[in-house]
Amino acid sequence: MIPEPGEGYVRLSPRKLLLDPVKAVGQMVVPLVIALVGISRSDTQFWPIILPLVVIGPLVLGALPWLTTHYRLTGTQIQVRSGVLNKTTSTAPLDRVRSVDLEASLMHRILGLQKVQIGTGVDDDRITLDALAAADAQALRTTLLTRRAVAEQQAVAAAGAVGHAAVGPTDLPDGLSPERPAGPATPSPPLSPPPVAPAVPLARIDWSWLRFAPFSLGRLVLVFGGLGVLSQFADDLPIWNQETATSAWHWLTQFAVAAIVVVLSVGALALWLVISVAGYVLQWWGFRLVREHGSLHLTSGLVTTRSITVEEAKVRGVEMTEPVLMRLVGGAELSTLATGVENGVTQVLPPCPRGVAVAVGEAVLERPGPLTGRLVEHGPRARRRAWFRQVRHALDAVVLLAVGWWWFDLTWWWLAAIGTALLALAAVAGQAQYRHLGHALAGDHLVAGSGTFARIRTVLETDGIIGWVVSQTWWQRRAGLADLTATTAAGTERVLVRDVRLDVAVALADRATPGLLSDFVGPAHGTA
Amino acid sequence: MTDVGGTPVLREPANRVSPRAIPFWTVSALVGDAVLVVAAVLVWLLVPGVPGWAGLLVLLLAVAAVAHVVLMPRVRYRVHRWEVTDTAVHTREGWIGRETRIAPISRVQTVDSRQGALMRLFGLASITVTTASAAGPITVDCLDAATAREVVARLTAITAATEGDAT
Repeated sequence: MIPEPGEGYVRLSPRKLLLDPVKAVGQMVVPLVIALVGISRSDTQFWPIILPLVVIGPLVLGALPWLTTHYRLTGTQIQVRSGVLNKTTSTAPLDRVRSVDLEASLMHRILGLQKVQIGTGVDDDRITLDALAAADAQALRTTLLTRRAVAEQQAVAAAGAVGHAAVGPTDLPDGLSPERPAGPATPSPPLSPPPVAPAVPLARIDWSWLRFAPFSLGRLVLVFGGLGVLSQFADDLPIWNQETATSAWHWLTQFAVAAIVVVLSVGALALWLVISVAGYVLQWWGFRLVREHGSLHLTSGLVTTRSITVEEAKVRGVEMTEPVLMRLVGGAELSTLATGVENGVTQVLPPCPRGVAVAVGEAVLERPGPLTGRLVEHGPRARRRAWFRQVRHALDAVVLLAVGWWWFDLTWWWLAAIGTALLALAAVAGQAQYRHLGHALAGDHLVAGSGTFARIRTVLETDGIIGWVVSQTWWQRRAGLADLTATTAAGTERVLVRDVRLDVAVALADRATPGLLSDFVGPAHGTA
Repeated sequence: MTDVGGTPVLREPANRVSPRAIPFWTVSALVGDAVLVVAAVLVWLLVPGVPGWAGLLVLLLAVAAVAHVVLMPRVRYRVHRWEVTDTAVHTREGWIGRETRIAPISRVQTVDSRQGALMRLFGLASITVTTASAAGPITVDCLDAATAREVVARLTAITAATEGDAT
């Protein structure tokens, strides 16, 4: 019989034994089919050997992780042991747990399982438990988050008790006694009140937001990706050759070309409507954003459900994006910038009305203003730089096109037309880029406006700034401008204030992080 | 624009890099550029039927390479500066553009020093100070090897004394 792991270690859910073989088969189906086809062509005498391998292989491969992966929760740590030959033990101190994410694919949900991912503040080092029974996963999440809250409360209490009476080790809550097996933390009476604060709802899905779905083009990338994959197969289809193409073309040109274009674009539009709305529903079904245990907690998903938890103390700022099409209908998206989350930027709202994004953003930041306040403009020289940058990109494209035209010996009229259109577009883009440009220091938050067609506003707590970079290209030096980058561990790890006057940049950095630059900021000179 | 008490100016960091950085940059630029120019000349000589203006291009490339080898190290030596105070690391680098970096020592996570083969020949070393941000590593290029050791020791001592997880 299989020995129990012992030492307080617990296995993952036994239902994982049903989950993993299916996954293994899914991953191996293509090589298997190829192998089977190859073998069936050659000889049939190997079948008695091959067939059991094909059946048993996935079962064994699926069972191994369940047999070898154990985890346990002690008073101070969560430990996960895994591996067959190379045993690895991951350990995370409970007070370092920054985020607990639950995820369930369709298979997981049918089996009543959930995948737990625990972020510990170190960039990519996440502990994954795939999979636990849904109830266990929920309990583990609550335990981890309340345990952290207890630890923090205890630290605060200990600090506060210095003036009164020392807190002896006997006063520690039960939950903090070392080597205690898994279970919800129960704070003892001396340390009241209980750390579980009521959950405060910040946002929930409003199906009238569905109107923003077609204007959010993020999913378009996926559609094109899918088309790309399909086209790979289309090459192999017999219908696509020169002959059918030309005959199809003749058949098409019998009709009015305009009518075909109209039909095609209407069809594409209708298809896009269906895809975008379906994608929105799939992703954001049952969306809820609440604040509990000092964390932001997001749940959503129709088929695959996600449950993301980010510790609020690690949220260093927010980013509100208004893509160009969404701006037409007054929509926006909101992300939090946090440290210790997988990629730092977590989208916490579906595409929704700008007012909702602002309200939630301000609730997360716990201060009104940064997302709506006026930004300091960067002046005419920054405008010139924005124009210049876009026009240069357009000229680059025109030069490339010209080379192509010369190579293929095409009509120059077309190039002139395209070039003019590109330059006009560049002028519009430059103006748009300048209009979105700006910065502000709203209390203890650095605000940066950016974006060319999308309007992006990034708000970063000045406490989260861990350095500055002032960089100037040769052109920027001539104009007396600089790019000011605030480096941070949160989000994309940098916040860029572009094309700001050098002295303004230095003053901004100095005010945002008082003391850091004081050694290096010289007295005011007339020449700057 | 709001001007708060005149225009604040970021003063340059106190120390220059080692003067031996000039020959080091010259040699490394020479090696890289020589390969490029020789390749261009070979293409010009060996490919049959190249148009006349190709020779002019090769000549321009050679002139640019010479200017790069002669001017770049001297300009760069004038621009590159560094300073480590008790609270912050401050560097300036570049030769056409300029880049100034400042990081508080309390947020420093690692201090690395690096010495390539060519650098060792010139007795130089580089120090890289990283913070929790991928955008924030600060490199002090081409220090005197002895100075580099000193600075690393000092930085390590200061960072060991500061607490917190530096995020």
